[in-house]
Amino acid sequence: MPVIVLEGVTKRFAGHTAVEALSLEVPPGGIYGLLGRNGAGKTTTIRMILGILPADEGTVTLLGNSTNQRSLSARVGYLPEERGLYRKMRVLDHLVFLGETKGVTRPQARRQSRAWLGRLGLGEWEKRKVEELSKGMQQKVQFIGSLLHEPELLILDEPFSGLDPISSREMRDTVVEIARQGRTVLFSTHIMEQAERMCDRIAIIADGRKVLDGSLADIKREFGTRYVALTFTRNAAAAGQILQDRSLAARVNDYGATAEVELAAGANGEALLRALVAADVGLGRFELVEPSLQSIFEAKVGRDSATPEDPAHA
Amino acid sequence: MRKLLAVIRREFIERVRTRAFVLSTLLGPVFIALTLFLPLYLSGRQTAPKRIVILDGASGGLGARVDSLLRAAHYGTDESPRSKYEVEWLRTTRVDEVQDSLVRSIGLARSTTPHPDGVVVLTDQALDSGTLRYLGSNVGSPTDMDALQGSLQAAVLAERLSRANLDPEVVRRASSPIRLEKSKVTAGRLTGESGEASFFLAYVMTFVLYFALLIYGIQVMSSILEEKTSRVVEVLAASLTPLQLMLGKIVGVGAVGLFQLTLWAAAAFYLTTNLGPILGLMHVSPDVATSASVPSVSIDLLLVFLTFFVLGFFLYAGLYAAVGAMCSSYQDTQQANMPVTMGIVAGFMCMFPILNEPDGALARVLTMVPFVAPFATPLRYSITPLPLGELLLSMLMTALGVLGVAWLASRVYRIGILAYGKRPSLREVARWIATG
Repeated sequence: MPVIVLEGVTKRFAGHTAVEALSLEVPPGGIYGLLGRNGAGKTTTIRMILGILPADEGTVTLLGNSTNQRSLSARVGYLPEERGLYRKMRVLDHLVFLGETKGVTRPQARRQSRAWLGRLGLGEWEKRKVEELSKGMQQKVQFIGSLLHEPELLILDEPFSGLDPISSREMRDTVVEIARQGRTVLFSTHIMEQAERMCDRIAIIADGRKVLDGSLADIKREFGTRYVALTFTRNAAAAGQILQDRSLAARVNDYGATAEVELAAGANGEALLRALVAADVGLGRFELVEPSLQSIFEAKVGRDSATPEDPAHA
Repeated sequence: MRKLLAVIRREFIERVRTRAFVLSTLLGPVFIALTLFLPLYLSGRQTAPKRIVILDGASGGLGARVDSLLRAAHYGTDESPRSKYEVEWLRTTRVDEVQDSLVRSIGLARSTTPHPDGVVVLTDQALDSGTLRYLGSNVGSPTDMDALQGSLQAAVLAERLSRANLDPEVVRRASSPIRLEKSKVTAGRLTGESGEASFFLAYVMTFVLYFALLIYGIQVMSSILEEKTSRVVEVLAASLTPLQLMLGKIVGVGAVGLFQLTLWAAAAFYLTTNLGPILGLMHVSPDVATSASVPSVSIDLLLVFLTFFVLGFFLYAGLYAAVGAMCSSYQDTQQANMPVTMGIVAGFMCMFPILNEPDGALARVLTMVPFVAPFATPLRYSITPLPLGELLLSMLMTALGVLGVAWLASRVYRIGILAYGKRPSLREVARWIATG
């Protein structure tokens, strides 16, 4: 049975539609990525899944229940995009409180909190006030708060934003571990590399509508090997010129030293290779590949602001 | 239920732990002690008698009468040994010149030769016209002037009577004032309270309610605002319903308020029941100490007061909660909470018409209006017997008001806690309330 099912879900705010006729299915186990630009409707979708916001149309089914999602909060963990803790509370007290709101008993919550604090390197901070912690530490505390009741579904809204590389890695490891235990993690992000490395399944939404969803492997296969990965060793400027040629390359992600190219319809790899060699471009790598998630996203959603950002949502 | 308790417990414990709470709880009894003891203590202190010169240009016995009356005036009770005035009686025919020279010396602070604090001028015209003159440094003190005028009034009256060949002593005895002893009767029984005592009680209760609603109501508001601005609320909103969140907040803050008030009441009770011994320690004479009486509170009045206290708190805290949820910054709340605060002030102002006419039509109506009943009903109950039906109806109306406010506030709260940015207009708030 799927963990989350959305069927034709729509949410409107004064003057604009945040989510429109969105249908999704998140199967149990694994990591599910909800991808989209800022303002695409990810947070609104998550809030509707959790029952914080009611959907205007459509049905949201969470863990088999479609009427009162909040009653299931003991089985769901949530890390909101806008982090926030009571600044004056002591770290341990705060975690115990968060555990209690999820129905965990106080002794149990205390035990779990201590274990997690120790594991994420915050053991010595349990008696300190939240405001004495650095931002990254506070983020970890809130992360612990979202999972200390051992939820079967963990929903993380932009979990890695604003984290230093080490904290980011610690959190990633934890998320992966939870998924390997057979639990489900749904996280939203606008950073494609992250999703590409972690997710089994993804959904891309733009302007509140679903653009694409499915398993990452299937999606990549569908896009086929119309993509070429390049690494330049010499004369990258000349390469840049050639990649402008729309009869060869339909779309280019030029990173300077490397590039990813979607071949134009009718063009093939050899033609591109010939042109590059003729222009005396040094090539460290020339490989026909599956497209990166970034390329898929851009192909589907458009590179630039395909639609202007809604000022009310900015 | 356990989640709700967790919210209440957190609110209570975190608040009670703050330095602000500890300080204000300790300062409360200090303040009570000061208001209780300071006036008594000061009135028990020696105050230097006022030096008064009687500048007597009148014929007959007026000067002598004024002189003896002023000399007989004492601070406090008549048996007290402390005279109010040090009197110098100066007979002269050149009233104006002497007056001028005396006035020049008033208020000069040379202690070697004592200077007068004031001059009473007596002339024959004054006796006829009834207008006497006093020139002094203490004319700004109403108490001093009332006392002086009383003494002069008595002297002039006696002089006029004797000039009309009437015995002033007979008239004095005939016109001596009576004293009305008042005892309160409730439901056919003497309560042992005097009229002043019930008035005093009503007064204190109204004040306590007024300040408690303002202080703790605003605490609910700023606490919700803090939860909103620090974004804690979103995590909580995933686990608790808006009503649970709001209720937890209100009950938590309310419990802190009740706890603090109980501590203060206990301190006040201890201080008042041990007034005599404590004043004794401060070397205040026992006659002053015993003159301060403390009214007793009957159990039923206490119950009525507490009931309406709780109802009033829920009513106004709910409104303040809605205001807190609507706003995104402290500045916003200062404007937005005005209507709520005005409601509390209006409730407080009810005190005056009700004290004037506790059984009047206005008083009866006010008892039934939820927003002012928490003030009006205990007040009426404390000064006049209130029919049980009226009391229950008032409770019912207020309780209905509380439910209405709770419904309204939770609907505003539900949407408000996730709405950031510009404060919503009244129309937007109305839409929040209307949408399912």
